[in-house]
Amino acid sequence: MLEIHGLTVTAGARPLVADLSLQLADRQITALIGPSGCGKTSVLKWAAGILPAGLVAQGRLVLDGQPAPRPLRAIGYQPQGDALFPWLTIAENAGLGLEVAGLSRRAARAQVAPLFAPFGLAGTEDQFPAELSGGMRQRAAFLRTIVQDTRFVLLDEPFSALDAVTRMRMQDWLAAQLAAAPRAVLLVTHDLHEAARLADRILVMAANPGRIIADIPVATPRPARSAASMAGLHETLKSLLLEENSR
Amino acid sequence: MSMLSRSLPTLLIAALLLAAWEIYCRQSGVSSLVLPALLDVLAALWQQRVVIGGHALATAQVAGVGFGLSVAFALVTSVLLYFTPWLQRGLLPIFVASQTVPLVALAPLMILWFGFGLLPKVLLVILVTFFPMLLSLLSGYRQTPPAFRDLLASMGAAPLTVFWRATLPSARAPFLAGLRISATYAIVATIFAEYAGARHGLGIYILSAKNNFRADLVLAAVVMSALLTLALLGLIWLADHLTRRGPQERGDA
Repeated sequence: MLEIHGLTVTAGARPLVADLSLQLADRQITALIGPSGCGKTSVLKWAAGILPAGLVAQGRLVLDGQPAPRPLRAIGYQPQGDALFPWLTIAENAGLGLEVAGLSRRAARAQVAPLFAPFGLAGTEDQFPAELSGGMRQRAAFLRTIVQDTRFVLLDEPFSALDAVTRMRMQDWLAAQLAAAPRAVLLVTHDLHEAARLADRILVMAANPGRIIADIPVATPRPARSAASMAGLHETLKSLLLEENSR
Repeated sequence: MSMLSRSLPTLLIAALLLAAWEIYCRQSGVSSLVLPALLDVLAALWQQRVVIGGHALATAQVAGVGFGLSVAFALVTSVLLYFTPWLQRGLLPIFVASQTVPLVALAPLMILWFGFGLLPKVLLVILVTFFPMLLSLLSGYRQTPPAFRDLLASMGAAPLTVFWRATLPSARAPFLAGLRISATYAIVATIFAEYAGARHGLGIYILSAKNNFRADLVLAAVVMSALLTLALLGLIWLADHLTRRGPQERGDA
């Protein structure tokens, strides 16, 4: 289990996140939702060990009961958008994390190659990101994250740049991928439907300063989650956010 | 769009201007001592091709050495300044100030200090071409998408790895733009240095042709210097195309 204890992030004198704690259970998708500016991304970036300069943080990262350093090898991070390097082929992009970990380009390519077909990317190995559609690029970004085979995965609004239809398709696709190879995921999103569709647990954040105001488990099994069956949860989340916003 | 169709407007305008020059000289009766016709200039260039070619070679050598060193110097300095922001804040204004010193004052001083050899000319080329490249590199480094750096850092990459894999490649297009600007200065700066004092080179050739009232030879040397600059730009274009990766960079050159 990965835990964040008492995280406080400040920008100058302004507190962005105040005394936030959360746990990421193994093989579970946890969604972190909240209004823009509530500090969701700061929490994620802190856990990934890449808090921007100018922000000061205090808090502890704990892995299986032991204090953990940041960045932590057991954590894979996917920034907002796809962050594919335009000068690298899709295969090179996908193997980037492996190369940084010390593998040769050839060995990294050999390791990512078998995953191209299951990720729906067969034939794109030697193409460049600009030659792919938004959905394909997003899959390539996931491939880059997943192939690092980390126990924990942090996703920062992975579908925010996609159109509505592609986004829904990609949500289903991600759910299937994670069902096939479960791992602990912290998904930052501002899309309530996305959270309700994918997560096993939803943490709701409020802003000024950023803090968790609700921790809602999602009991309905993922394949049975229709718009109608999730309407109640959706309403709960909506009213929580609206209520907090009106204060 | 093919390269030919992209270059067509430029070629057309250049051809019109050159034709206007030729027609003006033929029709107006202007003295060839003042403005020789284009065809006369080309004829002079052909007649003196061995002499002018020799001087052009000397100029090309100085410009090549100076420009090459300048590129290396700009790359090394840019990396140093990128990793030491306080040095960047301290040195950039000094570099800017160095650009305000007029070439016309600097060239004779260089000759005075370092003699008629290669050194003063190479130094002058470096002084003139270094700054645009340094600025374009530093600006390119700043244009690196933060997500690229974040991604690599989250993978545990060291700062030098992040620089090598994300920051340096992100500066490629701005660097090439700076390289092209500097390349156009390189030949001009060399000729200026030779003009101030040299044994060989287009600069000294232009000076002696001017002193002999041979405007046709002055212009023939100018044509040659333009060809040298075009050759240097051609080399940069070639290097760009040979090292380019991905369709996103099309049209940069």
